[in-house]
Amino acid sequence: MTILQTLMSYLSLHPQPLKTPSTSLQLAQHAPTFLSSSDASRDTQEVWFLYEQLLLSSLRCEDDSSARLCLQRLGDRFGVKTSRVRALTGLYDEATASSKPALEEILKRYNKLISEDPTNTPIEKRRITLLQSLGRPDEAITALTKLVTHSPTDAEAWSHLAEMYKDQGLYSQSVFCLEEVLLIHPNAYNIHARLGELAYIQALTGGNEAEGCADAVRYFCRSVELCEWYLRGWYGLRLVTDRILAQGGKGMKKETVEGLNLKATKRLAEIVRRATAGEEGWKGFDPAEVQAAKELLEPAS
Amino acid sequence: MKKRRNEPEADRRYLKILTGVLRHYATVLMQSDPKKLDLKALKEQRNLMRGINLRQNAGQLPLHSFISRKNTLVADYKRGAYLKDPESVGKPAGNPMSDPAGMDQMMNMLKGNMAMIVPQTLIMGWINAFFSGFVIMKLPFPLTIRFKTMLQSGIATRDLDVRWVSSLSWYFLNLFGLRSIFNYILGSDNSADQMSAQMQQMNPAAGASMFGPGQDPNKMFLAEAENLEVAGGTHEWVIEGVEDRVLQFL
Repeated sequence: MTILQTLMSYLSLHPQPLKTPSTSLQLAQHAPTFLSSSDASRDTQEVWFLYEQLLLSSLRCEDDSSARLCLQRLGDRFGVKTSRVRALTGLYDEATASSKPALEEILKRYNKLISEDPTNTPIEKRRITLLQSLGRPDEAITALTKLVTHSPTDAEAWSHLAEMYKDQGLYSQSVFCLEEVLLIHPNAYNIHARLGELAYIQALTGGNEAEGCADAVRYFCRSVELCEWYLRGWYGLRLVTDRILAQGGKGMKKETVEGLNLKATKRLAEIVRRATAGEEGWKGFDPAEVQAAKELLEPAS
Repeated sequence: MKKRRNEPEADRRYLKILTGVLRHYATVLMQSDPKKLDLKALKEQRNLMRGINLRQNAGQLPLHSFISRKNTLVADYKRGAYLKDPESVGKPAGNPMSDPAGMDQMMNMLKGNMAMIVPQTLIMGWINAFFSGFVIMKLPFPLTIRFKTMLQSGIATRDLDVRWVSSLSWYFLNLFGLRSIFNYILGSDNSADQMSAQMQQMNPAAGASMFGPGQDPNKMFLAEAENLEVAGGTHEWVIEGVEDRVLQFL
């Protein structure tokens, strides 16, 4: 197998290598070999896709020279002025910037680019993330709300906004944003589970607890209805039903809550058992989440 | 005699492939980059999309969230809050020729058609000059008389057996059969294939964006506002009763 085939098959097994450190490291380790191979000069869609992934994972693993090379070749092929390459360049500069003033400098450059072309969404998003990492969530939120007024069909922006509102403790705003995401992707089970989590947090931090917990149960149920083995959904379901039962089961039928609790326990136990045994088809779970599920189950067993 | 018939046939087949390849690259070369929309046009389109999304996926939201969204959107739509140029409300739709974006779109269509027509004329001329009105092959199986129109276009002999295939019919059979070869040479999304081009000509609305030239965005917003009002009456939350569904089915 050539290096290109190896990397492509790796990417098809791990479609989002940036999600966990280990997969990005795996990918980044192949970067120098790939860049010096003859495959690297091929001009196909998958090669350029690979370049982008390698660039991001090399940056993540501090392999700046490989990242530089990827960026350079992308720029040579598509032009340094295209918005996507510009965003990647910005990302590279942000990652290699050594001090806060350097980051401020990049921010100024983004501002300039946006004033030249207000529709440059990739740069706009970079600017928002940079504002966030500079510790100015208020400005980031303002920029995001501006972004979603002209692009209300951008699910990524809505979910980012939801996350930022949540960090500020503004739960109902966060719920609003997640609902917008659902309007764009109606079957996003992770968003349903997220809504459940928010409803649960809201119920615990003031507000009507019985009602909030009941809502949370429904959202978690919906998420596992859409995705049968969604660990977070079952985990949340188990957690909330525990809470409701401990509070005396107000707001919902007791048999239903008990039934759901039992079902969630069973499913979680199965996930934990199969994932820790490393069975075929059960390897995709995040080890940390499996561990958390195990700890949730432990006192019960 | 037999040999002479086969030779030009082979030539023509290559010619057909070559013109297909040429046409593909001509179309690629002539295509202009999609024009960038400015912020206001973007806002107009995407906010309309939001209304459509809300109407289609209303079931994902609890009733109160849906109603509040619907009321805001309907009010905004009726006010024309998202319009690209609010002054033009009520005026008749302008001449699409005067809108630069519409002009661009038309130019693209024209270019596409030119790339179709020129080689088409050439190859048709070639075919007429060399191969009109003779039989080119005999099918190894008998067929009923109904196939005469399909297999013997271009020859007007009533008594000829249906098994003989005329050159023109053979040309059309090739035309359909070449698709897989073009896919192999040029990749699956090529513009050499006439069939797809003809299909597009027949149904231009399918590929065009919703905001074509000559459309009045204000009317689209008002229509969508009405749709939303109607959809508001039949709201049903998908989450209703999900606990029982989970208990029952999972």
